[in-house]
Amino acid sequence: MQPQPAFLLHKQPYRETSALVELLTLELGRIRAVAQGVQRPSSRSRSRLQPFAPLHVTWTGEGDLKRLRLMEMHGSAAMLVGEGLLCGFYANELLTRALPLQFPVRDVFAYYGALLNALPRPDARAPALRQLEYAVLEALDAEPRFTDTQGVSLDPQRHYVYRAELRSFEAQASPTSGSIDGRTLRLLAQGDWGAPGLAGPAKGIARAALAPLLGGKPLRSRELMQRLAARRRSKE
Amino acid sequence: MSFSPLVDRLLESFRVLPGVGPKTAQRMALHLLERDRDGGRRLAEIMTRALEEVGYCRRCRTLTEEPVCGLCRSVRRDERLLCVVESPADMLAIEDAGGYLGQYFVLHGHLSPLDGIGPEDIGLDQLGERLAEGGIEELILATNPTVEGEATAHYIAAQLEDSSIRLSRLAYGVPMGGELEYVDGGTLSRAFNGRLPFSSE
Repeated sequence: MQPQPAFLLHKQPYRETSALVELLTLELGRIRAVAQGVQRPSSRSRSRLQPFAPLHVTWTGEGDLKRLRLMEMHGSAAMLVGEGLLCGFYANELLTRALPLQFPVRDVFAYYGALLNALPRPDARAPALRQLEYAVLEALDAEPRFTDTQGVSLDPQRHYVYRAELRSFEAQASPTSGSIDGRTLRLLAQGDWGAPGLAGPAKGIARAALAPLLGGKPLRSRELMQRLAARRRSKE
Repeated sequence: MSFSPLVDRLLESFRVLPGVGPKTAQRMALHLLERDRDGGRRLAEIMTRALEEVGYCRRCRTLTEEPVCGLCRSVRRDERLLCVVESPADMLAIEDAGGYLGQYFVLHGHLSPLDGIGPEDIGLDQLGERLAEGGIEELILATNPTVEGEATAHYIAAQLEDSSIRLSRLAYGVPMGGELEYVDGGTLSRAFNGRLPFSSE
């Protein structure tokens, strides 16, 4: 097989010198594989097989667990530190939890690559994360429809709450905490995630829409970020 | 053919050790039973004792059978320097390399959200208490240069944002006697960004 672009999402030691890895690949989406010998101290692949580094890989095996063959670095790894690194963990955790195995998601792959480029810049993080989240939702056919629960287009004057199970917005009699006005939602519907003032609502909708895909357990990387943020606020 | 149940269980027990498969386990068990029963008895005795008695040092969390380890009690170590490492093996490696005279704090792991390992699992509360006692001027973040090690260093640093403790992180470099051609790109670019002034002295 031809070497395929891929990113490492997660690596777990396996046996003495091997690792169980999860990769996001261009052609086959998320795959699980055994990478033999990569935990050996002398292994050249050991430092290569790191998260957030663009890789070229080949594998063998037809089932759910593949055997990773060739890995090459392809371009330079994004140097992630601090907040950007935690956001990267969040993206990896999201993809490992939400995407089914061997389900091709080319758009998600493209947005993931774009996210890694955006993470070193603080102001570019939120829009890139939202775009990735939206691509995941679209791939799994769970993206919000920007209409009310009856399928009627949104009224800019009214306030709405997102209902994930109906994939649409429920009109509220009056503004409540967490409700979003129709004008904002119309802007979001145009894909304007980066516009000032829309970051908060966009995050709220993405979170509500993703929740059913993640099952009951919360994302640990998000908890970690929230703890740091809470600590920072308490000091101010 | 198989061995008697007790011998079989001995074989099976050796396989908990890393790198020991069925064949090696058999060699080990037969060696002890046939050639070195005394050695085997000593091994069994010391293993029982070590497993019973060895715990974590109350100050640095390294492995020790004493409440506070020798290194923490030593008056020759500089109490103003504290080096945070991921494992006792890392601590030993730094000790063997020599040159560091401060104290240590062992995390026994790193933050790894995807494996469900959070701050409370790696003793960061205890590290916080230790730092709150005062007297530490520099905290050296010597977690591994992996993404998890980096995240751990960031988390610790974020906790200490407005304290007066100086923070430092191990530098990235090319290995001694190495050739640039064979160094991986990530290491090389970090070593390049972290280059040091050089003079002809």
